[in-house]
Amino acid sequence: MHGLYNFVRGPLAWVAFILFIGGSLYRLISMYKLARKKDVFVFEYTTLYFALRSILHWIIPFGNINSRNRPIFTIVTFAFHICLLAVPIFLLAHIILWDESFNINWWSLPDGVADIMALIVVAGCGYFLWRRLTQPEAKFVTSAGDYVILAIVAAPFITGFLAYHQWLGYKFWLILHILSGEIWLAAIPFTRLSHMLFFPLNRAYIGSEFGAVRHVRDY
Amino acid sequence: MAEPAKRIEDAGLDEGAAKLTPEKIEKVINGVLAAEGGARLKVYVDTCVHCGLCSDACHYYLSHDKDPTYSPVGKVKQTLWPILKNKGRVSPEFIKKASEIASTECNLCRRCVHYCPMGVDIAYLMVMVRRICHRLGVTPLYIQDTAHSHSATMNQMWVKEDEWIDSLQWQEDEARDEIPTLRIPLEKEGADVMYSIIGPEPKFRAQLIYQAAVIMDLAGVDWTMPASTGWDNSDMCMFTGEFEMMGRLKRDHFEAAQRLKVKKIVMGECGHAYRSVYDVGNRWLGWKWPPVPVIHAAQFFYELLRDGKIKVAKKFDEVVTIQDPCNIVRGMGLHEKVRYVVKAFCKDVVEMEPNRDHNFCCCAGGGVINCGPPWKMKRMHGNRVKAEQLAATGVKTVISPCHNCHGGIEDIIHHYKLGMHLKFLGDIIYDCMEKPGAV
Amino acid sequence: MRKRTLALNIGMGILVSILAFVLIPAYSQEDIVTLEDDAFGDRQRPAAVFAHEEHNEKAEIEECNVCHHLYQHGEKVEDESSESMGCADCHNVKEGYPTMPLMKAYHDMCQGCHKEKGEGPITCGECHPRGEPVASHETAH
Repeated sequence: MHGLYNFVRGPLAWVAFILFIGGSLYRLISMYKLARKKDVFVFEYTTLYFALRSILHWIIPFGNINSRNRPIFTIVTFAFHICLLAVPIFLLAHIILWDESFNINWWSLPDGVADIMALIVVAGCGYFLWRRLTQPEAKFVTSAGDYVILAIVAAPFITGFLAYHQWLGYKFWLILHILSGEIWLAAIPFTRLSHMLFFPLNRAYIGSEFGAVRHVRDY
Repeated sequence: MAEPAKRIEDAGLDEGAAKLTPEKIEKVINGVLAAEGGARLKVYVDTCVHCGLCSDACHYYLSHDKDPTYSPVGKVKQTLWPILKNKGRVSPEFIKKASEIASTECNLCRRCVHYCPMGVDIAYLMVMVRRICHRLGVTPLYIQDTAHSHSATMNQMWVKEDEWIDSLQWQEDEARDEIPTLRIPLEKEGADVMYSIIGPEPKFRAQLIYQAAVIMDLAGVDWTMPASTGWDNSDMCMFTGEFEMMGRLKRDHFEAAQRLKVKKIVMGECGHAYRSVYDVGNRWLGWKWPPVPVIHAAQFFYELLRDGKIKVAKKFDEVVTIQDPCNIVRGMGLHEKVRYVVKAFCKDVVEMEPNRDHNFCCCAGGGVINCGPPWKMKRMHGNRVKAEQLAATGVKTVISPCHNCHGGIEDIIHHYKLGMHLKFLGDIIYDCMEKPGAV
Repeated sequence: MRKRTLALNIGMGILVSILAFVLIPAYSQEDIVTLEDDAFGDRQRPAAVFAHEEHNEKAEIEECNVCHHLYQHGEKVEDESSESMGCADCHNVKEGYPTMPLMKAYHDMCQGCHKEKGEGPITCGECHPRGEPVASHETAH
């Protein structure tokens, strides 16, 4: 069992991180180059003030008209995204791994809190799945890939939750947890999950188009 | 649901698509994508998370009882996604449908940008579809005819140079009955302001030229209009995706102003023309900002009133509502300036909900009304929400500083039997301003 | 300064071990089944399972200082051992300098060896199993 664990914990983790970081850099740099070549005015019109104005209005709950019109969705999506980012980064068990491998550590969430937050992520995925299956405006534009992405995101949290509670097959769930987390990381730059990278850039640009050029809100 | 039971015939689409072959489609699409499909296209398509949150922004979607095929992302799904996924290998029938969706089911009003968490500019994606369809020669007939008029005459309405000058002199004559000293200065080099308008004004709304001349004259503005091409600031080529022609039009317009050595261009009450001059055409020509300062009539009137150049003689004796034109609210944030003028001249304003930069489009803009009679019912069915909005105000007069809004809202008023009528800002100002020199 | 601290530490260690020897002779190595170190305040996980005798038999560990090491001036003293001291005497819970923080010291000690030998638990849940509360007297100091 050491062998498989060491493999997912060691070489595969490196592969995942290289794909995540390298892939993200590749996507960002190649997009930058393409924009320089073909969408020059993206750089011409983007201003710091309107970039921040736009980003803030969209990362603060109820900061824009659509999030006010859809309070339930807003609460779910914010809870989901906050937990989605905070749990992997601030989970004690993860930080211990960082500490063991690289001698770095930082503040951690109490395990009990992280446990609930993981459930919130899973519940969020459930909500999004329900929307895709039942709400016409989402259903119509949903394809197989969208379900795969939901699964990729939910999997590390489900397996992590099961491994943490050690009900049955601890090592099985643990290895699956690590594996699914690595798949998630590696998928970020190359799937729609790349909205994590491009959300701020997109907003910075469109926020500036609306703010600096058209003197109007984009929220 | 509101999918039209009968297929709508449009020679531009039908005959255009009949000439296509799969090879040509693939070649043209990939040519356009390679030359023009930049980072924005890629990022917009790649980061759209298919959430459907843009739906509630769209008047077509809401008016069709939330039919998802009319949602902004739904329209992208039916047009651009298959084009990109199949790398241009789509059928002539598909192109015809894509052209219909992009040209007649989206007003490019950009309301969905306010609703998209990722900041995807879906109007840009729809324009990309129109661009591809234009290059394939599959564009609705009426708007294509207008684009041809632009190419042949540099104006939208096949107005010839002598007709243009004659129209101005005719309106000058008429106005001199009211203000004997009034002139419409033609081709006056060194004037402060070049006033440019859209083709339909000399063609069939000549009284607007009359009114503008009276306002200019009484406000003491040193103004002029070009005698040759460049007077028409409108631009259907921007909406068909014929960007090369759009560039020619905008250059002609700017060069007229430069030839006349004016300080600024004042544009008549038209939304799309403002978008074309201020936002789109200048970029095609490589200008970050218009080379000659450009202001829309709404802003111009606001400034005249603010500076005391025009004065209110009497209030328009009716409660009014305001139809905010997308291209000057989401395109320039002029909504408060419009209200400043309206409130000065009118008894009271009842707002539609939502309003200002969150307004619903009139459903005529983005070239949709220019696709002509075959598609009129699409606009009527596609903007039931506007009819409901208008009816809810309970007023009889709608003020809107935009030709497209006028056309669209008038049709809606008739179709839904709302018993309302429309006015331009210029109408109200002309009616209610102090006219010291008038006889 | 550092020398004096070290001397003090060693002195304290000796004192504590004598006291321990005198005062609590009832505890023997057989009693140790978990590594519940009181130096940790609130625990996020149950204390690590560790049956001292069973482990050493299985792992064929004869010398105490394989685990109960003693460091001086940053170097391991080969012939000395530190079983008379508590791990927390040198390894603080919070600060890592000059020694490893306590939790890391435990993790490193156990896992380091397990990884080297390719045997024994190396994942979180194997040492910190849930649902098996251990009576408090059956613990290490």
